[in-house]
Amino acid sequence: MPEQFPILSAIVLSPLIGVLVLACLPQHQGGWIKRVGIGATFIPLLLCAWVYTAFDIRGLNAQFEESVPWIRIPLNSDVLAQYVPTIETYELRFDYSLALDGISLPLVLLTAIVATMAAFASIHIKKRFKTYFILFLLLETGMLGVFLARDLFLFFLFFEATLVPTFLLIGIYGLYEREKAANRFLVYNGIGSALMAVAFFALIATAGLSISDTGNAIIYTGDYGTIFSQLHTPDSFVNLGPGQAPPLLEFFYLSDGMRTFLFFLLLIAFGIKLPMFPFHTWMLRVHAEAPAPVVMIHSGVLLKMGAYGLLKFGVFLFPDEAARWAWLIAVLGVVNILYGAAVAFVQREFRLVLAYSSISHMGIVLLAIAAMNGIGIEGAVFQMVSHGLISALMFLLLGSIYERTNSTLLSSMGGFAKSMPFMSGMLLAAGMASLGLPGMSGFVGEFLSFLALFETMPVLTAVGCIGVILTAVYVLRAVLGITFGQAREKALEFKDARLAEALPMIALLACIILIGIYPAVVSEPLQAAVNSFGTLFTDAGANGGG
Amino acid sequence: MIVNLASSFLTLAAILFCLGLFGALTKRNAVIVLLSIELMLNAVNLNLIAFSKYGIAPSLTGQLFSLFTITVAAAEAAIGVAILIALFRKRGTSDVTDMNQLKR
Amino acid sequence: MDSTFVQYAWLIPVFPLLSFLVLTALGRGFRAAGPIVGIAAAAVSFVLALLVFLERLDGTKDDYTWNDWNWIEAGGFTLSMGFEITNLNALMLVIVTLVSALVNLYSAGYMSGDERKTTFFAYVSLFTFSMLGLVISSNILMLYIFWELVGLCSFLLIGFWYHKPEAKAAAKKAFIVTRIGDVGLLIGILMLFWLMPGHHLDFTMIGNAVAAGDISESAATWIALLIFVGAVGKSGQFPLHVWLPDAMEGPTPISALIHAATMVAAGVYLVARTYPIFMASPAALDTVAYIGAFTAIFAAVIAIAQNDIKRVLAYSTVSQLGYMMLALGLGTELAWAAAIFHLFTHAFFKALLFLGAGSVIHATDEQDVRKLGGLFGSMKITAVTFAIGALALSGLFPLAGFWSKDAILTQALHHGNVILFAVGVIAAFFTALYMTRLYVMVFLGKRNKGRKEAHESPWVMTLPLMILAVLSVAAGFASMPGEPWLAGWLRGVTLTEHADWLVIVLSNAAAIAGIAVGYVLFRKRSETEAGESEPAGLYRVLQNKFYIDELYQAVIAAPYRALGNVLYWFDNYVVSGAVRLVSAVFVGIGRAGVRLQNGQLQTYGLMILFGCILFIVAIAGRRFF
Repeated sequence: MPEQFPILSAIVLSPLIGVLVLACLPQHQGGWIKRVGIGATFIPLLLCAWVYTAFDIRGLNAQFEESVPWIRIPLNSDVLAQYVPTIETYELRFDYSLALDGISLPLVLLTAIVATMAAFASIHIKKRFKTYFILFLLLETGMLGVFLARDLFLFFLFFEATLVPTFLLIGIYGLYEREKAANRFLVYNGIGSALMAVAFFALIATAGLSISDTGNAIIYTGDYGTIFSQLHTPDSFVNLGPGQAPPLLEFFYLSDGMRTFLFFLLLIAFGIKLPMFPFHTWMLRVHAEAPAPVVMIHSGVLLKMGAYGLLKFGVFLFPDEAARWAWLIAVLGVVNILYGAAVAFVQREFRLVLAYSSISHMGIVLLAIAAMNGIGIEGAVFQMVSHGLISALMFLLLGSIYERTNSTLLSSMGGFAKSMPFMSGMLLAAGMASLGLPGMSGFVGEFLSFLALFETMPVLTAVGCIGVILTAVYVLRAVLGITFGQAREKALEFKDARLAEALPMIALLACIILIGIYPAVVSEPLQAAVNSFGTLFTDAGANGGG
Repeated sequence: MIVNLASSFLTLAAILFCLGLFGALTKRNAVIVLLSIELMLNAVNLNLIAFSKYGIAPSLTGQLFSLFTITVAAAEAAIGVAILIALFRKRGTSDVTDMNQLKR
Repeated sequence: MDSTFVQYAWLIPVFPLLSFLVLTALGRGFRAAGPIVGIAAAAVSFVLALLVFLERLDGTKDDYTWNDWNWIEAGGFTLSMGFEITNLNALMLVIVTLVSALVNLYSAGYMSGDERKTTFFAYVSLFTFSMLGLVISSNILMLYIFWELVGLCSFLLIGFWYHKPEAKAAAKKAFIVTRIGDVGLLIGILMLFWLMPGHHLDFTMIGNAVAAGDISESAATWIALLIFVGAVGKSGQFPLHVWLPDAMEGPTPISALIHAATMVAAGVYLVARTYPIFMASPAALDTVAYIGAFTAIFAAVIAIAQNDIKRVLAYSTVSQLGYMMLALGLGTELAWAAAIFHLFTHAFFKALLFLGAGSVIHATDEQDVRKLGGLFGSMKITAVTFAIGALALSGLFPLAGFWSKDAILTQALHHGNVILFAVGVIAAFFTALYMTRLYVMVFLGKRNKGRKEAHESPWVMTLPLMILAVLSVAAGFASMPGEPWLAGWLRGVTLTEHADWLVIVLSNAAAIAGIAVGYVLFRKRSETEAGESEPAGLYRVLQNKFYIDELYQAVIAAPYRALGNVLYWFDNYVVSGAVRLVSAVFVGIGRAGVRLQNGQLQTYGLMILFGCILFIVAIAGRRFF
């Protein structure tokens, strides 16, 4: 739309401005590189804030749509011309199309906020600043694109585009076993992406088929809207079995078995990212070895990409299968919660405590998704946003602590409240947010998720609620072990947070408390999307799924 | 008779070829390997001549071709021994298993 | 007065909140500001609460509800927040603000030497805000939110002296044990949400729904029991009582405020607020009553053998809360009112006792009763007020504790069964016994040599003591047997009850017997040198609190840690192992392939041979397939 400013493209591509500027800066100007890098993250943040205010709460469809024809691959229509004489266009088409709906808006805002805070945390990086910030900004582009893409191929592209910068960031700037961790990350996520690609291409080849009314254009497209409507219209050829469909179109039928297969492919692919037990071990290595700002982004945003994908592609496209297998997702969610909490309790390294904590919290997202109702979607989005912010805050604090102590072993820390009261207070606040104290965002996410699942699976929800106790156990063990107690002599010399460290901490905590006290800031934009997607589940129930 | 003689020739050639192949693939001394290669070539010659007499369309082509093979075998033997001598001068050994520079 | 002040009742929690924000912003610098801001905020809140209370005193006002802040919309349902003032709330508001104001004043003296004074007053203000918010909550979700916030403040204040490992451990324990209760309450709320018509969670709607029969008895039993689990955690009933005695690691003023008068009463308040659900389920009521009764006697017995002043008082609190739960479990309006009445009187005399203990500790730096003694001479005000509090707690006519305990015991006899009544009377005997022991060992007898000279505490500390002593005497007259005015006012109906002289006589007899036995048993000990005699047999079991902490450690804590280790091992070797196995398979295939590239010509030749044979077989075999 030429009249309207393409705000979404601006959001996605704005970090590249920073890349361009950085490319021109000389290598040795460390201070300027850092300033430009941090400043460049403010552009998408401001644009996202603007979009948030301009978002129409009552709008039913996706907003700010942009669609630009991009890839056209003409296919050989000789054989087809025998059956359809009027055919002119027979092609594979992938458009560059972006759109924003109620579910992606909070996540896009989360990405922008976490990226800016992570940029602040990057002041502790010690070498090769230019490469670092360029990779960082490329990563941010990829993440923003994932949440905004409307075309399956574009989504896949942006999804992959986040893998390479992360791989390099972990491999170059991490701790002792960084290369192994980076390798593990890339390969594991690559397998997930491969599975996702298979599912996507199957979808494009069947539900992505759009035939124009006059019969002169047959196009395979990756557009989400097309695929969505094809899958959910009862008399679409995708849903009509052999004997019911018009001739030729019966090849495009997606049988129940095929759908279950595709659903499981997507479940595993996004489950690897989420991470779902038992596909979580790669993430532990990343949390242990990557530098703190990278883990902030990873834990804060990248994991949410998995949940978002599961929701948007797995559940919304295949609601019947999702309803049938909801019990499995719920069980895996409960396993995540309890397993993560139990193992976090015995960790000696604070980074691993936080890693297992992430596994535990993402389990709550799985519970919310498994609930298959409007409250569940809302709970999932809240929990994603909340955990993103809390996780970012925790790792921000960890980065600052590591800067001073050069170790994240719990046994080497203690009594920091004496010499670093501000950071200790922040750590305590972050711990309280993590265990779901009301007044902070974690409670809203947890409450909605448990509430949603209680309708259909009360016993499983009650078991999951035990996780609330276990979370308190490991969080208090770790946080109190760091802040309370007697301080060693070395600890007494540590200085409290500088302004550049304190500002992002305060900003993140403010967001957490804001959402906790006034959750309408997130729930209001969500409502329209929740209501419209919620009808999917009631239909699914009517169709006899689950 | 005719058939029996042909099959005897072919059998003999096959045996000689297999012996030669076995030697080429398993022997450690490079000279023996070259020898085995010669054996294989000679077995081929036998085959050619047998088919020229007892084949489906007997003619002199087979025998003429075997002359070519003998020549090529001789040339190849000469070059092979020359390479072997050069390698021996460099390495001090004629053990084939020591010539493994092409490995990863 | 007409209803002018009720509309502004929402301001009551706001003043302490402002105090918290101001004190946090000031940081550690302005040390003098802490007490001033804290006391001022609490006093203003108290005045406003008193105005609201007085306005409603004639009993003619309806409940005032304002529920219009839409908090969150979830899938078509809206959860809203607001506040509600009933007669019960109004009473609680007065109790909380009064005790908070007195504790703030007292802390100005008690914490005067502490360098983190401002932080202390900030936390106390935050607690007051949370507790007041809890009290005026209009729906159960909002109550849960403030419930957790109160737990947070309790945690922060118990761990106030964080460099002490005992304080750190006690704070952690308090938070986790109460969290166990909180999960029960949470599940109860979830269940209530899905069962209520219209998914409303306000207390009035809950009452209506139960009355209309929308919630079946079995569902009500579940919900009530789950809510009671929450109350058990917060009010320190058996088996979740273990955190309350350890919470004594915190400064004594907050033991008075939080762990005697207000927060622990929140459990009782919760059950009282959701009473319609309990009334619909006789099974739940029985559970409440029996657990309350058991706790009352269990804690009283342990208190006899404790050597720390504050721990005796802590177990005493647990025991008295058991009385309240016993009353609530009886299921009648009068019994409900009796529980609230006891909460009302207990707040005053328990706060008095704790503040008195704080006065002793402040003067002598000593908490072990075996090392104290003979303080009557040097700390007259403390000693006299402490005696009033102890007698009130023992339930002696005509002090406040008698009236409320009598109300409970009367109800227990009439509407409960003889067992509950008997347990109540026996626990009253033990109550008097341990209080007498405490008093005798601390205040009477000769002064222990080697302990520093004690003098009376400053006026900021003794003034609250005196005020509370007056209340401990006067508060009981709000409801007499035969004239249950308080009960009627709370419930909004007129109630009658005839006085039962049997109960009055028995309860007084038990108290007097307890005092007499205590005096005789423990008087001699206070006159001898503080010998380290080995406690024997039953006494040692009591002193070690029936080894319940050790039991929990062995049965829950240690196995959980072991489970964590096992799962970690599982994660490292089995799950990660599977991933490593997959990668090892591929690497193995690769390595096998690499062995072909050994540089041996003869190997290559062999491979060529195999390839040729394959070709020949394929081409020749085509004829057959």
